[in-house]
Amino acid sequence: MSELTFATIDQTVLDTLEPGGRRYWTLIAVLFGGVLLGAACWTYQIFVGVGVAGMNNPVAWGTYLINFVFWVGIAHSGTLISAILHLFRAGWRNPIARAAETMTVFAVCTAGLFPFIHLGRAWMVYYMLPLPNQRNLWPNFQSPLMFDVVAISTYLTVSSLFWYTGLLPDLAIVRDRATGFRRQVFSVLSLGWTGRFEHWRHYTRGYLFFAALATPLVISVHSVVSWDFALGVVPGWHTTIFAPYFVAGAIHSGLAMVLTLMIPLRRIFQFEKIITTHVLESVAKTIVFTGLIVGFAYGTEFFIAWYSHNPLEQYIFLYRPTGDFRVGFWIMVVCNTMIPLLFFFKPVRTSIPWLLGISICVNVGMWYERFVIIVTSVARDFIPYAWGLFTPSPVEFGIMIGSFSLFFFLFCLFVKHMPSVSMTEMKETLE
Amino acid sequence: MNRRTFLKIAGMGSIAFAAGCSADPEKTLYSLVQAPDDMVTGQPQWYAATCRECPAGCGILAKNREGRVIKVEGNPLHPVNRGKLCIRGQAALQGIYDPDRITAPMLREGEVWRPIGWGEAAGLLRDRGSAAARRGGGRVRMLTEVVGTPFAQLATEALAAWNAPAPLAFETFGYESLKTANHLAFGVEGLVGYRLEQADLLLGFGADFLDTWLSPVEFARRFKRMHAFNGREKGLFIHVAPFQSVTAANADRWVGCRPGSEAVVALGLLQVALDVGRADHLPTDLRAALEHALTPFHRERVLAQADIPSETYDRVIQRLFNARRPLVLPTSAAPAGGNGLAANLAANLLNRVLDPTLAGLDFGCRYRVESAARRQEVQGLVDEVRGGEVDLLLVNNTNPCYALPPGSGVAEALARPGVFVVSFSNVMDDTTARSHMVLPVRLPLESWDLYDGVQGQPGVLQPAMGRLTEAPLLGDVLLETAFAQGRPAEGYKAYLARWLARRGAVATDADWVTLFQQGGLFTPPAEVPPPAFSPDPAAVAAVVAAVVDPAPGPIWLAAPSIRYFDGRGANRAWLQEVPDPLTAVAWQNPILLHPETAADFGLQPGDRVRVEGAGARLEAPLYIWEGVQPDALVMAAGLGHEAYGRYAAGRGANPLALLAPETDPADGGPLWGLRQPVLTRIGEGVVAHADGSRLQHGRKIAVSVPLEDLAGTHAAAPHAAGLTMESFPLTLPLPEGYDPQRDFYPAHDHEGYRWSLVVDLDRCIGCGACAGACYAENNLGVVGERRMIEGREMAWLQVQRYLDPDRPERVLFLPMMCQHCDNAPCESVCPVYAPHHDKEGLNNQIYNRCIGTRFCVQNCPYKVRRFNWFTWQWPDPLPLQLNPDVTVRAKGVMEKCSFCVQRIKAGHNAAKNAKRPIRDGEVTPACAQTCPTEALVFGNLMDPASRVRRMVDDPRAYQVMGYLNTKPAVIYLKKVVQEV
Repeated sequence: MSELTFATIDQTVLDTLEPGGRRYWTLIAVLFGGVLLGAACWTYQIFVGVGVAGMNNPVAWGTYLINFVFWVGIAHSGTLISAILHLFRAGWRNPIARAAETMTVFAVCTAGLFPFIHLGRAWMVYYMLPLPNQRNLWPNFQSPLMFDVVAISTYLTVSSLFWYTGLLPDLAIVRDRATGFRRQVFSVLSLGWTGRFEHWRHYTRGYLFFAALATPLVISVHSVVSWDFALGVVPGWHTTIFAPYFVAGAIHSGLAMVLTLMIPLRRIFQFEKIITTHVLESVAKTIVFTGLIVGFAYGTEFFIAWYSHNPLEQYIFLYRPTGDFRVGFWIMVVCNTMIPLLFFFKPVRTSIPWLLGISICVNVGMWYERFVIIVTSVARDFIPYAWGLFTPSPVEFGIMIGSFSLFFFLFCLFVKHMPSVSMTEMKETLE
Repeated sequence: MNRRTFLKIAGMGSIAFAAGCSADPEKTLYSLVQAPDDMVTGQPQWYAATCRECPAGCGILAKNREGRVIKVEGNPLHPVNRGKLCIRGQAALQGIYDPDRITAPMLREGEVWRPIGWGEAAGLLRDRGSAAARRGGGRVRMLTEVVGTPFAQLATEALAAWNAPAPLAFETFGYESLKTANHLAFGVEGLVGYRLEQADLLLGFGADFLDTWLSPVEFARRFKRMHAFNGREKGLFIHVAPFQSVTAANADRWVGCRPGSEAVVALGLLQVALDVGRADHLPTDLRAALEHALTPFHRERVLAQADIPSETYDRVIQRLFNARRPLVLPTSAAPAGGNGLAANLAANLLNRVLDPTLAGLDFGCRYRVESAARRQEVQGLVDEVRGGEVDLLLVNNTNPCYALPPGSGVAEALARPGVFVVSFSNVMDDTTARSHMVLPVRLPLESWDLYDGVQGQPGVLQPAMGRLTEAPLLGDVLLETAFAQGRPAEGYKAYLARWLARRGAVATDADWVTLFQQGGLFTPPAEVPPPAFSPDPAAVAAVVAAVVDPAPGPIWLAAPSIRYFDGRGANRAWLQEVPDPLTAVAWQNPILLHPETAADFGLQPGDRVRVEGAGARLEAPLYIWEGVQPDALVMAAGLGHEAYGRYAAGRGANPLALLAPETDPADGGPLWGLRQPVLTRIGEGVVAHADGSRLQHGRKIAVSVPLEDLAGTHAAAPHAAGLTMESFPLTLPLPEGYDPQRDFYPAHDHEGYRWSLVVDLDRCIGCGACAGACYAENNLGVVGERRMIEGREMAWLQVQRYLDPDRPERVLFLPMMCQHCDNAPCESVCPVYAPHHDKEGLNNQIYNRCIGTRFCVQNCPYKVRRFNWFTWQWPDPLPLQLNPDVTVRAKGVMEKCSFCVQRIKAGHNAAKNAKRPIRDGEVTPACAQTCPTEALVFGNLMDPASRVRRMVDDPRAYQVMGYLNTKPAVIYLKKVVQEV
């Protein structure tokens, strides 16, 4: 990092805020088209009924909740990187913290849509809010879905505030260099930041407290999401390992998504000097660690199924690798636990194509992990007469495309209009 | 705003407001200003009538709410069914509300149907009839369903007035061979009753008396009186048949035999009886003739030709000849592979040999279906029409174009120039579509009539609701058109009254009212002793000598269907939607093939196959099933209609079409089997089956217990306390079922009642009547074939079918509905409290509160919750059938069995008015109400004297998946099995 100076950092980052070219706006238009496709599919579903999706009895939860868990998982590593690694003073986090936090906020927003899409009567969703009413009907706080409402909304609030707090000094930098309308906008957004000693003192304190506050959330949110399943009685769901298993999986997928986003970003925005190979390598090392935890969790599930002597548990864990959805299972195992082990080799974890390829594999594998958990368990649960299979319908694919489009649409808009690397934190590393 | 703008807005606004109002005023079936005397809004009226869905003639009570029939239930006074009804009876309503019902007469002009007036139609009929009568005798013919005695008499008179012979009653399943065998063995020209309840052993040769045979509801009741575990023992039932019907699935042993070899087995047993000296009471000449004739039926021949293991045969012999009161039942109504007459005769002779007094047969009970013409006569009529000897053919609610194979020439006969075919059908069925004029007449639930399913026990029919169409009574049509002068009565109702008065049944108006209130004349008939008749040895020997060897090789069988009967049920959406009890297939009738046979043909499960034979072909998916003998290719009759309304037309395939048109010279019946059909695989098929697996995978779901294990068991049941699936104790949904060791939350406080359902699996025959009743009572959506394949069926109650993995012929049925758990997994996971535990223990689903997270169904171990994936459709006028006491659910909400909470509420109202608690048995859910074997018992567990409370003390009591500690309120009693 010796070649970097305060000026070059500012210049490199601020260069990215230059007006986008034709290719950029084409990309934005395509992504917006994807968003519209998803919206159209959802509208159709609202008018016709959730039956337009592929769910049935017994598999009444399908890709909507798979995507929900997937996006909540993606949302994890942002806060992990910005909060936990901040507390641990891991310097390599600074170049990617901003993008990772942004990813978190947008992933939570995307994830938050899916419970609505999933509902049979989305227009009645306000029943889940503790609104005073004449019948004294209250939401059921015993329900893991109410835990979700609380956990996800808390997480969204805290991660947004944390993200915005971190943005403040950078917004002021942009404001100072901007002219005209942009200057006005950034003046408002930077909340009158002048870089006075008092500002910096409050900012660093606040940032530290937010980091401390957000750290338990990293653990709690996905633990709560895991309880959607673990508190059910369904074999394959009803297990105490779920909270740590889901958290590790979430970080696993989140880190992979960070790599997937960072590698093109650093190439396009010429961030090579800021987001160095060393940074990517550090992420890759962490992926090896989370991959091993996830692999251990898979193994534990099988061991406990065998050890429990419960025929239903045993059946479901035999069914996953050998039954109708075995392809999904093996994608999950190979992509999440085996392929990341290649990062043990230094040439692999320092090679950009390998990093990108493996990170995409992990993303796919983690999507399938949620598929395997959600679909296979209920497809073969207690009553064999009621067993059934699940195939996603075109509407579900449309909504899935819409959700990915929405996420990348927001992210692409962000990186071109806001500083996608924290200039402030980069400068901290220079001292 | 200026004045002009105000006027513009006001003008536009008022026009928009006016345009938004509907020009169609609300249509109502009744007016409170001029309401009928007996109509009270909100209160049901019950009208006694007789079910006409099959010839058995069960008594029904039709429930009328605000002028329309919404449910039918069995008439408890009726001697045939005693308050119970089968699934077809439950679906009778959908005949009235058929969306494709013909509402006015139509005349066919080429391919176009032109609506005509009622007067014009009657005039045409009168003119055609009198013209035909003028041309000569016998030029007007009538083919009718089996009808009651008074109508048959009127029709005979009417045809006589047209100078023509009496009508022919056409039934697809006409019992020709059994009638002939009864004539030969007992001297009885007809069909007699069977006192199943008095037997300790039943040996059936195919008679599917729990499916369709003669009078299934009656036989289900009688059968369970001998075959239900009574605390000490139960009777034995052995069924020898080529394939498993529901009846065979209820046998202690189904002995699969080659089609056509039932006769060989029965004659072999007869020979054993002669050998062991059981036949010594027979007249000497008969015995000698039998001994001679039966010589070829030695053990080796029986074993080889029937393809049954020798050990099985020995056990059957041992059991049969050691039984105290054995009763042998004849073949099914469609005995295939030849030898039908011999098999029935052998069964009759076995009864004669085993019990000289013939106490097991009721000669006073004569089933009305015996009046059906033999197939030979029907074919003769078809030939006459084809030969131009008939000018006017009247078809009353029967469908020969469907039931007769194409080779019979029935289509050509109807198309012959010169013949005018009038159909009195309410639906455009296969025959009506080929007729020249359709004159719809009133359906049974709209008619005045009398039907005697059993001779001497006539049930009456009366209009149970206002008419939906202007259709007249068929009796009135005949009275108006057939008699030029000297009409026997002004109308059919008067004719009927006169007929009853002449028999001394109705003397006064009060008698008439009583008759129609109770639903029939139910004086118990006098005991009729067995006729003193000795079979003619020569005739018997001739039948035995005519037995053909049942050759090995594939043979095509058409089986009567428990749902569609002979096809007349195919336009009832409920019958399509409720899956077949054995195959769990809905909306289809696949070809049932033994795995070995499928392997021989190189076919895989899921293949779609073309079958060719006797000049016809059909295509259907395959269903690989161990419940058929390897030689048999079985298909349920009833589907494959060319026309019959939207639910039936073009659906499935018609197995009857593949049969040969010739009739059996021995008994005049059809040839039910087709040898050597040609099977070709034509692609992938999709079977719309409701089941996920046929096996229980070692789980404690449908549990059976050997009879030996129960002998000597006392009240101290082995309630071994453990936490595994096997050892978890019975935990009642009462405070006593809570144990601080296991339970985190305290018990519920129930107020006075804790509703519970006890299901005795030993009594359940799997017929599916409960499921049909549930559709009728609770406004369940009918989802159709496609949604069924997708797994979106809405059945609140499924009769699950499980096979023993080691012995797949052993079938266990388990009615599965919401278990109303005390510790319900669905309740805790709903974020908005839509599943709600009420103070009487019911797990209520609050539809308005449900937002459709579907967490409840995911967490329900029993998977009994049903989600409304779409807004289900009830094409007009089907919405008239909907029960006004039950909400019709919209898309996006969860629903499930409510224990018929509307009936519980009605029970509360009645009890509150009378200032007393609800009595045991006063509230009965629709499923328990109709169960022909009373396998379902509903009641209050908090009442120590209630039936359910006493039944849960049975050592057989258990809970499905009880080890989850859900404390289900549905408690099952294990099925008692015994080895033969």
